[in-house]
Amino acid sequence: MINKISRRNWNRILINGALVLVVIFAMIPIATTLIISFKTQQDITRKPPVIFPCDTETRAFDLSACRWSVEGYDRVIAPKPSDGLLGFSLTGNMLRTYLPNTILYATSASLMVVLFAGLSGYAFSRYRFRGHAVLMAAILAITGVPLLTNLLGLYQIGITLRKAQIPFYDDRFFIILVYMGFYLPLSVWIAKGFFDAIPIELEEAALIDGCTPLGVLGRITMPLALPGLAAIFLLTFVSVWNEFIAGYLLIAKNEHKPAMFGLYEFLGQNIINLQVIAAACILIAVPMVILFLFTRKSFFKAMVEGAVKG
Amino acid sequence: MRYRLFRQPGKSLPFWLILPTILVLLLIQVYPAIYTIWLSLQEREPTGWTFVGLKNFERLFGMSAFSESIGHTIVFLVGYATITMVLGFLIALLLSRTVRFSGFFITLLFIPWIIADIIAGMVFRLLVVPDYGLLSGILQNPALFPPKGLSILTAVPPQSWFGDFPFPPAPAMSFLILASVWRALPFVTLLLLAAMQTVPHELVESSRIDGANGWQTVRFIMVPLMLPAMVVALFSLTLSGMNGVGMVFSLTGGGPGTSTQVLSYLLYTIGWDRLQFGRAAALALLIAIVNLTLITGTMRLTRVNEGNT
Repeated sequence: MINKISRRNWNRILINGALVLVVIFAMIPIATTLIISFKTQQDITRKPPVIFPCDTETRAFDLSACRWSVEGYDRVIAPKPSDGLLGFSLTGNMLRTYLPNTILYATSASLMVVLFAGLSGYAFSRYRFRGHAVLMAAILAITGVPLLTNLLGLYQIGITLRKAQIPFYDDRFFIILVYMGFYLPLSVWIAKGFFDAIPIELEEAALIDGCTPLGVLGRITMPLALPGLAAIFLLTFVSVWNEFIAGYLLIAKNEHKPAMFGLYEFLGQNIINLQVIAAACILIAVPMVILFLFTRKSFFKAMVEGAVKG
Repeated sequence: MRYRLFRQPGKSLPFWLILPTILVLLLIQVYPAIYTIWLSLQEREPTGWTFVGLKNFERLFGMSAFSESIGHTIVFLVGYATITMVLGFLIALLLSRTVRFSGFFITLLFIPWIIADIIAGMVFRLLVVPDYGLLSGILQNPALFPPKGLSILTAVPPQSWFGDFPFPPAPAMSFLILASVWRALPFVTLLLLAAMQTVPHELVESSRIDGANGWQTVRFIMVPLMLPAMVVALFSLTLSGMNGVGMVFSLTGGGPGTSTQVLSYLLYTIGWDRLQFGRAAALALLIAIVNLTLITGTMRLTRVNEGNT
């Protein structure tokens, strides 16, 4: 008996130990980036490189001698004194231009995706109309068309729209539209799945009680579908935030380009200032990691739903 | 019958609900696809675009960079998909055995997935920047890696075993695969874990009682039942590996030489570096065809399997 229990314990220890090892391996690249981002230039360009900038002449590691610095972050953010409300302003291109652009694109594209995918997902879930199956299959097929192979055509549309001199138009409208078009197909499928899970009897009851179809959609179905729609919003938001190639190629003016382009630009500008690159990476990645940590259940739901369909 | 109630208020309602989506998809997905087909048959002359038939494809096939890139893509995809699937399966197996901490482990393991591919590329690049990267100190040590030490981002590829086929891969390619696996692993692990949890516990238990060892249980009970999910995972890995380009941009830039120039990066190079749009369109079309073949193939496969079980 004792022998059996201890063997089971052994198993548990082995499994958890193996998992801890896996997690450590998964975390190493992130941890090293964090460390690099807090190093000084002298410690970055040392040969041979040291992991922790904590060595002294006599000891290899001395916690009190660590030379941490925020130089990297300082150069990304570039705060300058000003007469503004805060007493300083952030002059780095990353925070002044690229990051606000990314937030704008991610927010508006995700909101539109949620709206459009919500409406059409509802229609696909609740109505059987002519072309229902064909349209669903077509949307599924489009899911498989990568952004990459459509870039040439999109590039051409972008040029045409720019030349057309539409009032108030700039590339920002176009890139939001592109992100919408790219993340809609999967979202429609996910939305349909979520709507399918809502019992139709609830809606029928409301209809019998005299609610209009649109009223049913707004008052009964949408509130019930809200967790699903939130999951679509999050998935699209993170995808747009992390997207690089479309933002890089389809936007002409630097002032409209997103944060991922800003990072790529940093890579070219800072060949040996590794702490600056690391700091920029951390600054751009941390919001998504935090968002994920708080909403992970939503993510997993949308992901599994999307993977099964796609 | 049950939809009659919904039909009454007007048959056009679903049409209006779907219309915005259809319009966006027509403009952003369908039109560019048609345009790419048209463009692949055209060539830019001083007078404008002229129809040249399949000449762009002929020229593309004639490019040495194209045949090279096919080799690189195959090496990358096989390495990336195999390693991710095997590791993903093993980690999912571990996670399915632990009860108390699985949520905690899953959350931590998932962080790489939430990080953009271009950032992941940079994070790994920081490790192996010549001379200053944290791993460079070990890798570039001549005592450990004779004769001159190994600088991942600049080392020339080893002598190929099969003529033009780039195997064994250049150190940069192996590193690119490693970085890609790191980022894709969470997704595959979760997918396989979800599938693993649908395998009935009694089945595993009874196979144990019948005397199957651990490997036999996995091989003959779990794998067959998880096959649809594994196909889906493999397929999405192949797609993401084929179309993902951000990591190549930030990790290697296609180099050293052309040793990490996969097809997706070649498309960018032909189109936006050399501005040969006709040829780029031909390549884009080929990539799209491979994608669609994969998708239809996978859909067939999973459906057949669902029919069997």
